[in-house]
Amino acid sequence: MPTRSRLGRTNGVALSIVGSLVLLVALIWTLQDDRDDSASAGHLTLYCAAGLKPPVESAAREYEERYGVHVDITYGGSGTLLSSLKVSNIGDLYLAADDSYSDLAREEGIAREVFQLATMRPVVGVSAGNPKGIATISDLLGPGVRLGLANPDAAAVGRAVRTAFTESGQWDTVSKAAVVMKPTVMDLANDLNLGSIDAGLVWDSTVNQFTGLESVHLPELEGSARSVTICVLESSERPTAALRFCRYLSSRDAGLPHFERMGYAAAEGDRWEEKPELLLFCGGMLNAAIDDTVTAFEEREGLSVTRVYNGCGLLVSQMNAGASPDAYFSCDQTFLDLVSERFHPGTTVSSNRMVILVRKGNPSGITELADLCGPGLKIGLAHPEKSAIGVLTRDLFEEAGLTERLEASGNIVLDSATGDFLVNQMRTGSLDAVIVYRSNAAAALGDVDLVALTAPGAQATQPFAIAHATNHPRTLARLLRAFTQTDSRARFDALGFGWEQPLPAESE
Amino acid sequence: MSQPSDIRDRGFLLFLALFAGLYVALIVGMLIADATYTTPDALLAALESEEIRYAAKLSFTSSTITALLSVWFAIPIGYLLSRTSFPGKALVDGILDIPIVLPPMVIGLSLLILFQTSFGQAVEGLVPVTYRIPSVILAQFAVACAFAVRTMRVTFDQLPERPEKVALTLGATRAQAFWRVTLPQAGGGALSAGLLAWARALGEFGPILVFSGATRMKTEVLPSTVWLELSTGNLEAAVAVSLLMVLAAITVLVTARALGVRRGW
Repeated sequence: MPTRSRLGRTNGVALSIVGSLVLLVALIWTLQDDRDDSASAGHLTLYCAAGLKPPVESAAREYEERYGVHVDITYGGSGTLLSSLKVSNIGDLYLAADDSYSDLAREEGIAREVFQLATMRPVVGVSAGNPKGIATISDLLGPGVRLGLANPDAAAVGRAVRTAFTESGQWDTVSKAAVVMKPTVMDLANDLNLGSIDAGLVWDSTVNQFTGLESVHLPELEGSARSVTICVLESSERPTAALRFCRYLSSRDAGLPHFERMGYAAAEGDRWEEKPELLLFCGGMLNAAIDDTVTAFEEREGLSVTRVYNGCGLLVSQMNAGASPDAYFSCDQTFLDLVSERFHPGTTVSSNRMVILVRKGNPSGITELADLCGPGLKIGLAHPEKSAIGVLTRDLFEEAGLTERLEASGNIVLDSATGDFLVNQMRTGSLDAVIVYRSNAAAALGDVDLVALTAPGAQATQPFAIAHATNHPRTLARLLRAFTQTDSRARFDALGFGWEQPLPAESE
Repeated sequence: MSQPSDIRDRGFLLFLALFAGLYVALIVGMLIADATYTTPDALLAALESEEIRYAAKLSFTSSTITALLSVWFAIPIGYLLSRTSFPGKALVDGILDIPIVLPPMVIGLSLLILFQTSFGQAVEGLVPVTYRIPSVILAQFAVACAFAVRTMRVTFDQLPERPEKVALTLGATRAQAFWRVTLPQAGGGALSAGLLAWARALGEFGPILVFSGATRMKTEVLPSTVWLELSTGNLEAAVAVSLLMVLAAITVLVTARALGVRRGW
């Protein structure tokens, strides 16, 4: 039998256990998350480089006020966040302090779209007034200067500085002169601010965030600028909402001013529109090759792209008459050249060989261009002023010295603005032969036969060009990127186009 | 404590006090340096910030939950290690030291990876853990419990085994002897274990950063706040939050120890 006092102590133990259980339950109850943050549309998760907190937080707050979309921001080092994302595979957005991380994220298949926000340049950070009179590299190496560096393996600025100084052959001297290497640029700036070092190699934007510091620019470091970027993650379940936030953050009149106010050199951005409406002029031959890609782009980005498909000669006339498309996907470089002053240089995406279509079984025995001048044929050609294929056809006959023979033959019974129209005429059986693009013929191959044209000039190349006047150059660069991806290429391939983009574009 | 009667005893105590004084001076010196670095405005701003108040609430609540859980686990583990021998005991003993030895970041990373396995995904299906509040508690618990276990084991080691043996010879079962004889004597040790786990959990940062992230108003604890403020070059705020954390922690620890002393622990 336990004694009375022992019984009392046992009851005390029981009381402690029950008490701690009640306390535990009560505490857990107070931590219940009252916000529903699962997959609601008004909610995004952003993994953000910690040093970028001030501009990102104020822009995100403004975005929530304007559009009611809450952005949950998790901070960390760019590299640490990337490692976590690789493992956890959740979240919508990743904002890296340096584009090497977003490149890595894209290579590893974690990120899809990448938006540039600001640029940073390495500089020497010193106390305001530059008390040590630092102006050149040799000033940093003097005995009276305590120099700090960011660790080149851990911090982006350290890496940029090491690359630049290794090129100029000064890295060994500089790294030996340093009294300390810190893991992040902000650690280094904090040391500068505290006065425990006299000079530190940091970003210009870091210096701008401290009133007590100023920058000294070194010519050796001028070519080492890096970018702050935000990416939409492959894991995002709300890519359209994520993209809309990225567009906001990277717009010159919405998110970027927040970065400028905090001392960053903002990137060139689009103008902010909640739902941009873009106008795209495209050569008629591209219709089947690009329309699905553009529709997918519209859906993912949450914007609208009005496509005007037509013969390129007509499109050029419309532009000369005042039409102002945001971008032009031309049937052939020659037509882009006619309006080159309106556009940035084009990126050639595809090419299209020219072919002769003949009746099934080739009853007229047509095997080359000259055969089209033979007696008693009815042939259709594209109009030499209204369309790219017409110009190329005319040039082809001229180069072969056949122009006069063709005219004398009287065989041309039809000229049309588009290749598709010629193909339809062919299918009705009213013509013996037409010259069109391979892509025009793709749909009709069961009804007609195809004769390849081997002359080097028998091909058109299709460049995509962005207008100088557009308010959405970044968005259009993403559209271009969409055209160069694998699924888009498959559509071009299926239609018989050649491919002029050996690799997917690196960045927009 | 007996009065030092001899001049040599006094010299000895002075010698001890010298070491104690130096260490205490170092700690107090750091706090004074912090206090002179920050301003009342920064302290006030920290107190007024909704985010920091949330981080403080989460820090104190999660640390307390962690401490309670740690003591619950530490008592049986400590008792087993102290009073029994079983095959592989040395191995288990070693495993229990791993959370103390491993760099905190590695604990966080390991938890993150664990919750991506099929087992982890099954748990996530029931209770979402990764990047949520439960991950904060789990990250704290993974480390803090190891410290509580060490404390409880030393406690049971130091309790004489005799009364328990006597109870057994008087016909009590092992469970009865544990509940009625040993456990009531281990109260002081349990309090120490709980406070150690609590303090450890409050300062925990590395594993939380990796496993829970530092999401404002969600998984941000006070050490994450300090780190975030440092990451943006806001030293004054970082120091202000640190000081508030020190003040709150000292208040809790001193009060709890005083209560323990009053109960005779």
